[in-house]
Amino acid sequence: MKNKLLVLLFAGMTLLGVNAYAHHSFAATYLEDQKMTLEGDIVQFLYRNPHSFVHLEVKTPGGEPVRWAIEWGAGGQLGSQGITRESLKPGDHVIIQAVPGRNPEDHRARMVNITRPSDGWKWGGTFD
Amino acid sequence: MTCNRISLNLALILCIGLPAMAEIDLSGSWTAKNHEDAMERGAGPNPADWAGLPFNDAARAKALSFSQSTISMPERICWFQTQWHIAAGPFSLRLWSEADPLTGKTIAWIVGGWETRAPMTIWMDGRPHPSKNAPHDQTGFTTGTWNGDVLTAYTTHIKSGYMRRNGAASSDEASITTTFLRHGDMMTLTLVMEDPVYLTEPYVLTRSYMLTPTPVATAGPPCIPGDEGVESGRVPHYLPGKNPYVDEMTKVYNIPREAAMGGAQTMYPEFRDKIKEKFTIPPPCKRNCGVAPNTQN
Repeated sequence: MKNKLLVLLFAGMTLLGVNAYAHHSFAATYLEDQKMTLEGDIVQFLYRNPHSFVHLEVKTPGGEPVRWAIEWGAGGQLGSQGITRESLKPGDHVIIQAVPGRNPEDHRARMVNITRPSDGWKWGGTFD
Repeated sequence: MTCNRISLNLALILCIGLPAMAEIDLSGSWTAKNHEDAMERGAGPNPADWAGLPFNDAARAKALSFSQSTISMPERICWFQTQWHIAAGPFSLRLWSEADPLTGKTIAWIVGGWETRAPMTIWMDGRPHPSKNAPHDQTGFTTGTWNGDVLTAYTTHIKSGYMRRNGAASSDEASITTTFLRHGDMMTLTLVMEDPVYLTEPYVLTRSYMLTPTPVATAGPPCIPGDEGVESGRVPHYLPGKNPYVDEMTKVYNIPREAAMGGAQTMYPEFRDKIKEKFTIPPPCKRNCGVAPNTQN
């Protein structure tokens, strides 16, 4: 039984695994050895393929709003982890830890973890 | 009578047996074994790493101007890759054949697509390639022939695309020869790109697959356009001499820039001797170390 479960888990991982990477090179898109924290209100949650994006409005120290695009997993990958298109809504205040993008003009980052303090909802993990 | 029966049997064996010996069934779901070129097929290549690419000065200049954000331009987000993505991307494959309903003969083999690559139809009915002036698209036009039990496919009429997902480009004059070699439950694909515009020698990649009972999608999930951080009208790029990442990979691995800048010489073992004096062993790798992604078996 245990072996069957392992085989099933492995098959599932294989299925998820092939859903990966093709859109672009993560290594060439992000500064993978760095991390940043962003706090702000969600403007839009794009639950989609090839990768989902959370759009966040973050205030600069001077109070100016800047819109950030945080890359997340593909719709199918997130769905298998219980994330649906209803999980996040515009206006939700969240704290995101992310890997910064190489191009500062893009205001883009790759999701590492996300927390919504109002109800303690959180996600952390890896995606490809 | 005995002689006649033997002759008849022999004739039957020749008639029925020959096609079966020559061709082989490729249909099924094939899991990609991404241990080869793991970094390229996993998290993606480093910026400005073109080692082993036999490209020319024009291709190098184009690659150096490439910003990864280009792919997030609204009009390019759901842009298909060319069939070379079979070699350079991470995906597993689904193969099936289409038969002529009257004769039962195989008229085409289909290699299923994914969200960023259209299916490849390999025409087996002897039809010619279109005129060189015919329209090109990312799918291209592919014909195939059996050489013994090896299927050889030849693709032309593709649009310009990428040889490596860090800006190494292929032109619309490129052609791709793909051989499908099955060994039991394993299959090896060898892809050879020839490009008179950007390559000085053919570029060859191989990759392996294992037959799996787990169905691989025939076309993949649809790509849905969306804002990825690059506003409409902006064209991310680097001007000549301004690519900020040109020495990032060379510093991580302590290799000279001439190796990272590619060219045919970097494909061959002799090149290692040439740069041996300029190389020192780097500290232990901390990221993107070429290990196959753990979600691939």
